[in-house]
Amino acid sequence: MVQLQRVSKIYPSGLTALTDISLRIDRGEFVFVVGPTGSGKSTLLKLLYRAELPTHGRVLVYGRDVGRLRAGTVAGLRRTLGVVFQDFKLLPQRTALENVAFALRVTGTPTSELIPRALQALDRVGLAHRREAVPAELSGGEQQRVSIARALVHDPPLLLADEPTGNLDPDSSWGIMQLLSRINLRGTTVIVTTHNKAIVDVLRQRVVQLADGRVARDQRQGLYAVPV
Amino acid sequence: MLSRSSAFRQFLREGEASFRRNGLMTVAAVTTVTVALLTVGFAIAGGLNLSHLAATLNTQVEIVAFLRDGMRPAEVTRTQTAIAEITGVAAVQFVSRAEALARLERRLGASPAFADLAKHNPLPDSFDVRVRDARLTGAVAGALQGQPGVEDVTYAAQVVDRLVAVTRVMRLMALLLTVALSAVAVIVVTNTLRLTVIARWREIEIMELVGATRWFIRWPFLIEGMLQGLVAAVAAGTVLLLLYALAAARLRTGLPFLPMVPAIDLAAPLLIAMIGCGVALGAAGSFVAVRRFLST
Repeated sequence: MVQLQRVSKIYPSGLTALTDISLRIDRGEFVFVVGPTGSGKSTLLKLLYRAELPTHGRVLVYGRDVGRLRAGTVAGLRRTLGVVFQDFKLLPQRTALENVAFALRVTGTPTSELIPRALQALDRVGLAHRREAVPAELSGGEQQRVSIARALVHDPPLLLADEPTGNLDPDSSWGIMQLLSRINLRGTTVIVTTHNKAIVDVLRQRVVQLADGRVARDQRQGLYAVPV
Repeated sequence: MLSRSSAFRQFLREGEASFRRNGLMTVAAVTTVTVALLTVGFAIAGGLNLSHLAATLNTQVEIVAFLRDGMRPAEVTRTQTAIAEITGVAAVQFVSRAEALARLERRLGASPAFADLAKHNPLPDSFDVRVRDARLTGAVAGALQGQPGVEDVTYAAQVVDRLVAVTRVMRLMALLLTVALSAVAVIVVTNTLRLTVIARWREIEIMELVGATRWFIRWPFLIEGMLQGLVAAVAAGTVLLLLYALAAARLRTGLPFLPMVPAIDLAAPLLIAMIGCGVALGAAGSFVAVRRFLST
C-alpha cells in the first residue's frame, strides 16, 4: 500500500527533516508514527499526499512513485487519499454537511449525489444529526469528526491523520481514536502521527518511532516508548 | 463525471456567487481596475488625438510643380495623370497662371501694382500636389522633377522636416505613455486581486487537499476577475467618454483649428478596447494571484 525506499527530505532552508527512511505499510494496517516535535512525523505524511517531494529515494503509494507524478495527476492521487489535520481545516461559513459535500463538489461529483453521499459520510462518524451546524457550533471533537467524514467521502483505501487529537481534550481524543480504529477495522489503512502516549499504549498497534528524522523503532503491537 | 456545460454553469454560478459574497473586496478591486483603465483610456484617447493631429498635419503638406510655358492642354493632362500615379501623391490639382495670379492677389490684397502684373502675368502654370504623408515629400518632389513639362519643384523643406520630426516624437510619446500605464495597471490589478484570493486561501487549500484539479480551482477566480474587469471597463469607458465629449465640445469652440477625433468616432473603438483590456486584466490578475497559492 505504502512504501518508502531510502527516503531523505532536506527542505530548501537546509533543514534535514528525514534521513534514509525505509518503511513498508501493508493494506489494512493501523500505524502510529510517534516521536518528539521536529522528528519528521508531519513531513513523512506530507510526502505521502505529495505536499512535499522527497529529496532522495522513492515514495510509493498504491505502487505509484508519488515523487514522479505529473502536476496534473496530483489531484487524482488526492482523491484516493483521506487526510485529517490537527486544526480540522473546515470552512467556517459552511455547515457540517456543506463542508463534507464541498470535497465532492470540487472534484466534479454530480449534484444529485452530493447530499446523499455527504450524509452517508457524516453518518459513518456519527454526526448525521448535526449536519446543519456550522463549525463554531460544534465541539472540537465534533469538528474533527466532520473533517474525518470529509476525508472518507471518497472512500479512500488510505487515511492519513496528522496529530488528529492535538487540539482535543482526553475524552474527545478517545472518541476520535476509536473512530479511526473502527474505520481501520472496515478495511481502510490508517496512518496516524500522535503525541498521545495513553492512547498508543492502550491500542497496541504498530508503532514507528522517529528520532531526528530516522526510524528509531518499528514495532508490532508497540508502546509509545520502550519501557526502561 | 460532470458534463462540460453543466460544469461551466457551475463555475459561472460560483464566480458570480463569490462576486456577491465578497462585497467590500469586490468594490475595492473594481474601483482599482476602473481607475487603472481610466488612466490607460486617457492615454489611448490622447494618443489617438496626437496621431490624428499628426496625420492631419501630414496631409496638409503641399508641393508645387511649375510647368514650362506654352504646353498644349493635352500635354498638361498627360502630365497630370502621370503625377497622380506617383506613389505617395494624394491629390493633384492644376492651377492655371491666371488662377495663380488671382490667389496671389487675394493673399497680398488688391494694390495698383496688380493691374500692371495682370497685363503681363509672370507666373507659370503649375500643379498643386498633396502628399499622403509628409515623410514622402522628398521622394515625391524628386519624382515630380522628372515629369515631362515640369520645370521647377518647390516645397517648404524645413517646415516639412520639422513636422515629420514632431509627429514622430508625438507618436512615440503616445505609445510609451500607453505601454507604461498599462504596465502599472497590470501590477495594481494583480495586487488587488491577490487580496481577494488571500481572503479565500483556506478554500483553495482545502480544494487542493481533497483533490480538486488546478483548473477547477482557477476557473471561479478567473470568472470573478473577468466580471470585475468587465464592470470596471464599462464604468471607466462611460466616465471617459463623457469627459472626452465635454472636453471636445469645449475645445472645438476655444481652439477650432485643432483637429480632434469626435467623441462619437472614439466611442466604439475605445469601449471595445477597454472591455477587452478589463477582461484580460481581470483574468490575468486572477491567474497570477491564484498561482501563488497553488502548491502543485
